[in-house]
Amino acid sequence: MNYQWNWSFFLDTAMSSDETYLDWLISGLGWTVAIAISAWIIALVLGSIIGTLRTAPNKLLATLANAWVETFRNVPILVQLFLWFFVFPELLPRELSLWVKQDMPAKEFFTATIALGLFTSARVAEQVRAGIQSLPRGQRNAGLALGFTQAQTYRFVVLPMAFRIIIPPLTSEFMNAFKNSAVAFAIGVMDLTFVSRQIVEESGHVIESLLAATLLYFLCAFLANRIMVFIERRVRVPGFIIAK
Amino acid sequence: MIDIKNVSKWYGNFKVLTDCTTNVAKGEVVVVCGPSGSGKSTLIKCVNALEPIQQGQIIVDGTTVSDPKTNLPKLRARVGMVFQHFELFPHMSITQNLAIGQIKVLGRSKDEAIERGIKLLDRVGLKAHANKFPGELSGGQQQRVAIARALSMDPICMLFDEPTSALDPEMINEVLDVMVELAQEGMTMMVVTHEMGFARKVAHRVVFMDAGQIVEDAKKDDFFGKPRSERAQQFLSKILSH
Repeated sequence: MNYQWNWSFFLDTAMSSDETYLDWLISGLGWTVAIAISAWIIALVLGSIIGTLRTAPNKLLATLANAWVETFRNVPILVQLFLWFFVFPELLPRELSLWVKQDMPAKEFFTATIALGLFTSARVAEQVRAGIQSLPRGQRNAGLALGFTQAQTYRFVVLPMAFRIIIPPLTSEFMNAFKNSAVAFAIGVMDLTFVSRQIVEESGHVIESLLAATLLYFLCAFLANRIMVFIERRVRVPGFIIAK
Repeated sequence: MIDIKNVSKWYGNFKVLTDCTTNVAKGEVVVVCGPSGSGKSTLIKCVNALEPIQQGQIIVDGTTVSDPKTNLPKLRARVGMVFQHFELFPHMSITQNLAIGQIKVLGRSKDEAIERGIKLLDRVGLKAHANKFPGELSGGQQQRVAIARALSMDPICMLFDEPTSALDPEMINEVLDVMVELAQEGMTMMVVTHEMGFARKVAHRVVFMDAGQIVEDAKKDDFFGKPRSERAQQFLSKILSH
């Protein structure tokens, strides 16, 4: 390959602003991390609640929770993002609709965060349900037999073990939050994907620019993985073998 | 103490219990035996409503279990239960396993609960293991902890659902010893088990079940001496012949 590598161009000032390309990259990384982390928090909270409800004795709640998962799991994330961005505001009452379309601050960021958060929540809910159902039924009975209410049985007996069991798939989901956040550029969030394309347009350094974005995404996902592995080790139960 | 009256139960169209009637008086030890699939485990789980019943009535210490108005957690807290697979909480230390019910259900202070838990742990001979986790104990040890956990709630009676069926043969006796001691102290006990030695030693009555029905409900000596039903005779001859 006869390519003239040039990594130092990142320190050049961009043509259309007084910032360097490196500044752009860092700012893009900031938006990516902000979306991924906020979406992950939404996904973890909602996914835990919905996943738990799917195993609840109450049939109505379980059905609603199942419907939630089916809805957000069966439609591509990019389509969901467009629905939230272009369609949802039209369904709001007139004044609220106008406010969302014209005045809402950081509208693209919030839309992307909510879309990704809800999308991921369905996947987290599915894992939480699987984790709960993987526990022997006797565990729940033991909790109830001690005099715990259903809620206490979940809180003290079922969920602590279910979450330990599903840390590996949750790890993948946390990493996916970073990777899936790349769709946000499609509605104009200036995330890592957006700025890397912007840098290509202004500087013409296609390969360096995309490689830099690639490396940064890789590092984000890698860090997410390390954090989860650390948590997994911290909450490990002595003598407990999952295959039991 | 425990009154089971004309209880029937279905799983869908499949009838698992047919018109079961028996009772356990205060201070009495009743052993429930019978072949696999005879419904004995299901019956004992109905006593504290871990399994719902569709017909009949179960009354525990004056409270009707199947009454929708019954506060089930409150009732269950007074009925100790020991399971075939121990069902200790794997993410809690032995001490935590013994204390959590007392703290969250009975409202005891942490210190009080731990003190009571350790006392019971000592009683089942496992005080040295207080800070271990269930996964670090043998099956027999786990089951003894499970008995101590049930006792920590100061139950009015105890239910045992095949407490030794999942144990290695060498560990069965350490668990049975604890149960015998408990029986001799006058604890009201309903015990689903195949351990006929245990039944001979401490049971007052033996209930024999087959195909979801109570076939025989007799005083211990009558049951082992001259069982009335042919099915019970067969069962006894098979399990006592060696």
